Amino acid sequence: MNQLANHSPWRSALQGVREAIPLLGGYIPVALSFGLVASQAGFSTLEATAISALIYAGASQFLFVGMIATGAPLWLVVALTLLINVRHVVYGPNLAGLLPRSRHWPWLMHGLTDQVFALALTRLPQLPDAKRFSWFVGASLLAWSAWIVGTTVGATAGEAFTARWPLLGEIMPFALPALFLTMVAPRFTNKRWAAAMGCAILTALGLTIAGWSNVAIPLAAACGALCFYMVKFETWRRTS
Amino acid sequence: MSIELWLAVAVSAIGTLLMRVVPFLWMQRRLGSDTGINTMPQWLGILGPLMIAAVLGVSIVPVNPSAISWLATAIGLSITLLVWWRLRSLGWPVAAGVAAFGLVELVATL
Repeated sequence: MNQLANHSPWRSALQGVREAIPLLGGYIPVALSFGLVASQAGFSTLEATAISALIYAGASQFLFVGMIATGAPLWLVVALTLLINVRHVVYGPNLAGLLPRSRHWPWLMHGLTDQVFALALTRLPQLPDAKRFSWFVGASLLAWSAWIVGTTVGATAGEAFTARWPLLGEIMPFALPALFLTMVAPRFTNKRWAAAMGCAILTALGLTIAGWSNVAIPLAAACGALCFYMVKFETWRRTS
Repeated sequence: MSIELWLAVAVSAIGTLLMRVVPFLWMQRRLGSDTGINTMPQWLGILGPLMIAAVLGVSIVPVNPSAISWLATAIGLSITLLVWWRLRSLGWPVAAGVAAFGLVELVATL
């Protein structure tokens, strides 16, 4: 009761902003790189920024500008961009029960990236219902803004930036695996979940090292799910 | 950019947005309806955390893979886990992990 009385949408949004700050460690270097790559591929700063603001999906944006630069047919560029982003289909339903109904979702869901989904799925169940909408707005808007600003800076001064602080571009992205580890760790509650999570992590790692990072997330999650159900089957056989 | 290229950006953007918003709204409607299912399917609840695990696996690979960066990654993740184990929070474990990772990278360049 007291918690609800003290609820302020601004305070909840600021909490979302604060808790999304670790995401920036991964977003800013990648956005800088994207801006740099796009400008080298012949896109203007405005065009690179527009791609980041509108498509807002890291891997597919690199593919988009890369394929355009090589002169690939536009229908193929669009088809592959959408194919890479198809993993997002699973994110929304997982959050549907955690967020209140609102007429703003059709545009707010634009901010549902891999990282925002991971953060939201971990944090939303721990927050009171009244805080969740504002928290999501704060967290997703910070991530989106950082992605856009990073792209603009990358397109205008990316080369000078990375030449001046080369190590920063290597250190900052480590914030992402560190953050995801703190989200995954609480799930290691029993052998079944530990096996499934371990399987998903190792499969994604292996696929990324092999150069299959674009399909690593859905494939690794599917392998983890397979492992989850198989471990259950074996346990059942032993106990029966 | 040509008109055709702007069109390609628009189609990619709208397509990606629809993939994010339509399943979300569809599930919210199902959860709230009297006739529909009022709980999320079990497989979906399992797939969510596994997606996060997969994102972790993808992000573990260092920007410039080398023996030093892999060592820094292993130390950084161990420190993150250790601090998380003590504090059970999100912020400090991440800060400690990044500091440890950065320290190893900096020491290696000396």
